[in-house]
Amino acid sequence: MYKRRMLGFSLIRGLAAILLALAVAAVFIFLATDEPFHALQQLLIGPVVSFGEDGASFNVQSFYQILAAMIPTIFTALGVCVMFSANQFNLGGEGGAMAGGFVAALVAIYLPMAAGLHPVVSVLIGAVAAGLITLIPGVLKVSVGASEMVSSLMLNYVVMYVVLHFLNYEFADRSKGATQTHAFLPTAKIAQMVRGGSRLTYGFIAAIAVALLIGIFMYRTRWGYQIRMIGINQNFATYSGMKVTSVILLSQFMGGLLAGTGGAIEVLGRYNTFLWKELPGFGWTGITIAILARNNPVAVPFAAFFIAYLNKGCLLMNTNSDIPSEMISIIQASIFLFFAAEQFLAGLRQRIVVKNARDELAQAQAAAAASEEG
Amino acid sequence: MSQFFDTIFKPEFVFAIIRITSPILFAALASVIAEKAGVVNIGLEGTMMISALFGTLISFWTQSWLIGVLGALVVGILLGAMMGFFALRLRTNIILVGIALNILGSGGTVFLLYLFTGMRGNTSSLSSPNILIPTWNIPLLKDIPVVGAMFSGHAVLTYVAFILVFVVWFLLYKTSLGLNIRAVGENSNAARSVGISVQRIQYIALMLSGALSGLGGAFMSMYYSQSWNTGIVAGRGFIALAAQAMGRGEPVGTMFSSLLFGTAQALETRVSGIQGVSSYLVASIPYVVTILGLVLYMLSAKRKVRRLHQKLKNRQDAEQRT
Amino acid sequence: METLKTAVETRDDLLAVEMKNISKVYPNGIAANRNVDFSVRFGEIHALIGENGAGKSSLMKILFGLEQPTEGEIFINGEAVKLASPSQAIAHGIGMVHQHFMLVPTLTVAENMVLGMPPKKGIIIDYKKAVDMTAEIAKRYGFNVDPEARVMDIPVGMKQKVEILKALLRGAKILILDEPTAVLTSKETVELFRQLRLLRDEGFTIVFISHRLNEIKELTDRMTIMRGGRSMGVYETKGITEQQISQRMVGRDVILTVEKDKSQPGDVILEVRDLSYINEWDKRMLDRVSFNLRAGEILGIAGVEGNGQRELVDILFNLREPEGGAVYVNGHEITGLTQRRIRDLGVSLIPEDRMVFGIAGDAGIADNIIADRFDKKAYNRGPIFNMKSIHEETDRLIREYRIVSRDRNQKVGMLSGGNIQKVVVAREFSSDPILIIADQPTRGIDVGATEFIRARLVELSRAGAAVLLVSADLNEVMEMSDRLIIFYGGHIAASFDDTTTLTDELMGEYMLGLRTQASEPKEEKTHV
Repeated sequence: MYKRRMLGFSLIRGLAAILLALAVAAVFIFLATDEPFHALQQLLIGPVVSFGEDGASFNVQSFYQILAAMIPTIFTALGVCVMFSANQFNLGGEGGAMAGGFVAALVAIYLPMAAGLHPVVSVLIGAVAAGLITLIPGVLKVSVGASEMVSSLMLNYVVMYVVLHFLNYEFADRSKGATQTHAFLPTAKIAQMVRGGSRLTYGFIAAIAVALLIGIFMYRTRWGYQIRMIGINQNFATYSGMKVTSVILLSQFMGGLLAGTGGAIEVLGRYNTFLWKELPGFGWTGITIAILARNNPVAVPFAAFFIAYLNKGCLLMNTNSDIPSEMISIIQASIFLFFAAEQFLAGLRQRIVVKNARDELAQAQAAAAASEEG
Repeated sequence: MSQFFDTIFKPEFVFAIIRITSPILFAALASVIAEKAGVVNIGLEGTMMISALFGTLISFWTQSWLIGVLGALVVGILLGAMMGFFALRLRTNIILVGIALNILGSGGTVFLLYLFTGMRGNTSSLSSPNILIPTWNIPLLKDIPVVGAMFSGHAVLTYVAFILVFVVWFLLYKTSLGLNIRAVGENSNAARSVGISVQRIQYIALMLSGALSGLGGAFMSMYYSQSWNTGIVAGRGFIALAAQAMGRGEPVGTMFSSLLFGTAQALETRVSGIQGVSSYLVASIPYVVTILGLVLYMLSAKRKVRRLHQKLKNRQDAEQRT
Repeated sequence: METLKTAVETRDDLLAVEMKNISKVYPNGIAANRNVDFSVRFGEIHALIGENGAGKSSLMKILFGLEQPTEGEIFINGEAVKLASPSQAIAHGIGMVHQHFMLVPTLTVAENMVLGMPPKKGIIIDYKKAVDMTAEIAKRYGFNVDPEARVMDIPVGMKQKVEILKALLRGAKILILDEPTAVLTSKETVELFRQLRLLRDEGFTIVFISHRLNEIKELTDRMTIMRGGRSMGVYETKGITEQQISQRMVGRDVILTVEKDKSQPGDVILEVRDLSYINEWDKRMLDRVSFNLRAGEILGIAGVEGNGQRELVDILFNLREPEGGAVYVNGHEITGLTQRRIRDLGVSLIPEDRMVFGIAGDAGIADNIIADRFDKKAYNRGPIFNMKSIHEETDRLIREYRIVSRDRNQKVGMLSGGNIQKVVVAREFSSDPILIIADQPTRGIDVGATEFIRARLVELSRAGAAVLLVSADLNEVMEMSDRLIIFYGGHIAASFDDTTTLTDELMGEYMLGLRTQASEPKEEKTHV
């Protein structure tokens, strides 16, 4: 009973946060446009429903695009889940995604391999490179106690500039007007899952599979278990005999590994050459998704879908009405703030706890009375 | 290479360092105040973005650069209060509140700009010289050779930034508010035991922090870039966090570490034209330096503790022998 | 216990503090104070003594406005008052010097003195005036402090003076000092006493909390002795001997008997050799402590808290580094080993602070149960947890240890104190330990859980485990132990191979340092 009530409470609280965020968005939409209902329609149902002459219909291509957009952010969010679960605020996912994408691109261009193997090897090498990068703030934290937050933020920029350096000075394709690498070998491309321009690749399947795997890792293996326990109570973990330092480092490495995988799959799936000129932003979106998923890997794809859906809605508002797509930031920030707020609706929770205590007392008394009679 | 040294040994280079350091310094001082009160403000980046936008807009509407700057300041204070509300009142993890603010800063600003003006992405069409922050040629100083070219003719806010180093120091070390801030940040129980409201002090610190980063934002849009655009702050809020850490949280130390970053960035623009030097690698130097500085700082702090323990042990051993 | 004249107030006495019929029951049902009467005369140094858990701290927290009494009245200078917060207590002239100093390390002495009420010139703190105020009040009361030194740079004794001066500066006429000598060297203690006497002569009223009898005899005028949340009487210091104090302070209201067979000691399991430890306040907490513990026996460690027991346990589990000495388990040296290795040698620990070390409150019961064994073969199938065996083990232990919970995934932090401790105990007892270190295993938990845990400990020891029982509960440590060690001041004050002939009186005298086995009975000795 209690469990059901608390579960209900969590749901209500989550929904309230989301609704509140959408309400904030709606207020801004009403302020910004003369056609608020059209804009809202674009935001809320536009992503999957198209309105033609013969009425509304399900827009499959658009749906695929949403799924495609989820791919990199699922990975970065999973990375955040793992890193934050150990109570380490490593924000290096951003740099990890860029490094992973770039290194994978290099492998895709310069190391010929068999078709089936090439993308896998490229992504793996990119991921490991990214993992080593996010490991740095972890090492600095456990060895000298330097704040992983500050060093990871700095590291993101170092990664960006180093990648740009190599992109511009070492690996640029001089024959092209824009700064970009040579084209990937055709063997390295990640195959499209569906026809059309949606860019929904098999990377999506990989993302879902990895979300499940990380779920298993966090909740069904000894390493994930240690990460969670360290995050909850590091003293307890030490006292119980866990290898706290190694496990923290493992979690930071995995965080980067996942972010790098996301970056690599995105690069090899969406483009033919590497052409990012700034940090891709997947790291920050990953944090929002992880917060929404409450660090639960299995919930990540759903949260990622939600964010990608809203993102698409905002893009549609941008094209079909006069609201800039950056509306998404306002929605994201609002969700973020209310979702993570411990005291949000704390009054309601308190009432549930009290009501429950009262119920249990009543039950106990009833039981006692019953046993007296008997 | 000689071309490089030519540019460096010119007063213009020092002038550039000072100019480039100013916005970082504002944000770094903002971080100093927050840290001293025991709260981490990683929302500096977003606060700068938002107040930069409002600085431009308000100065455009009022056709007064001064009111624009004050507007940015007020917006900064409001954002600081918002952080306080979520972090202190609703108990959202303050790092997450900061990240949310940064998200708002990066995208929300574009939306707000559109909401208020119908423009997308930048405000270059709004700018006109009379609503930019004016520069100030200091009488007498400007006529001294070399020195004049270095220190005269900066934006008014540049002077404000450097004066603020003193003001923040003064606030922290000479006023009762500063005393309370330091006490709350260091031992909140001690502060509470003498009747200081910890939450109130942290609210105030966050609002002051917001005010300072607001000025930093105004500097960016109303002087440095001459208008507002989406890439205007470009990580300065994060660098400021590092400058604060490297400056050991003290205003003067933070000024020097900010100058270090300013120098690195100034170098970057100077060397980018030179054959054989990668401007990107140069651009990464400030960040690398920050990480190294952080590590060195932590190592020195660690060594200090170890020395203290050794001293203690020696004394005990001496007592044992006697 | 011989009868003694108690020093009850007459109508003519002027009372600075009068607390009448105070009771304090915490929400978890634990009664810290039961109908306590406590009164202090103007201008006296009044000792409040009792073991940890006797209710002294709780009573003083009520007097300083930190806690509200469940029942009872408080009079200050004869006037009924309600003390809802420390500031109200301060306004009534009450000042408290906490055991953990309420000072800001990087601020100077003068800044700490005026914190929250600095003298100002305009908006600027008049620092010079703060320094002058500090120097002046220090001079007036004969305290030697440097107003411009930073608190982090001054010795502990001076920090304490700053705390006392802070209270005086805020107009305190009644000073509560919570175990002020616990952190001081003997030289500093002498100095403190001199100053406290001066303050008394100036007309200040001082409440001195301690459990060091020699200090109390030396310094105070009267005393209130507490035990088990009750007042055991008020006495003139002159009219009572240390032995008499000890009898009233240490002792049991009800003697509990634990049924157990005679122990059959086996091989030496735990060997502690010359263990020393100096704490961060420069104080020697363990001084070359040595003892052995054999399989099949329960070795009790008794003593008033703060005499080195906590440090001993922490070092045994490598949660602190010793200054010198070594610990062997089954002949293997374990000093400096990781907790993993120590556990692998068959050591388990019931930690004193279960919320900090014993559990992960936000994790479920199963997660807490497997914390020391999650990587054992039985709970894994290759890289994946064998959830079936984890659940079986958890459910088995929940049944066996009668852990009252909704299900195995309920967050441990949501359980009652007794059930939280049962989770800890279930884990620590079920790993086939050869050595169990039980540090205050039954503190603050209900009777049912207490009895259960005690019976379990006896059972395990009779089955061959070595048990080291550290407890401040006299009943527990006297009745459970086969052998007993008493700690005082970081030394082993006494060690008994037969606990059956021990009396409460004798225990008290050893625990309070009136006697040691090396030179017994100890002659009257003060710090000087």
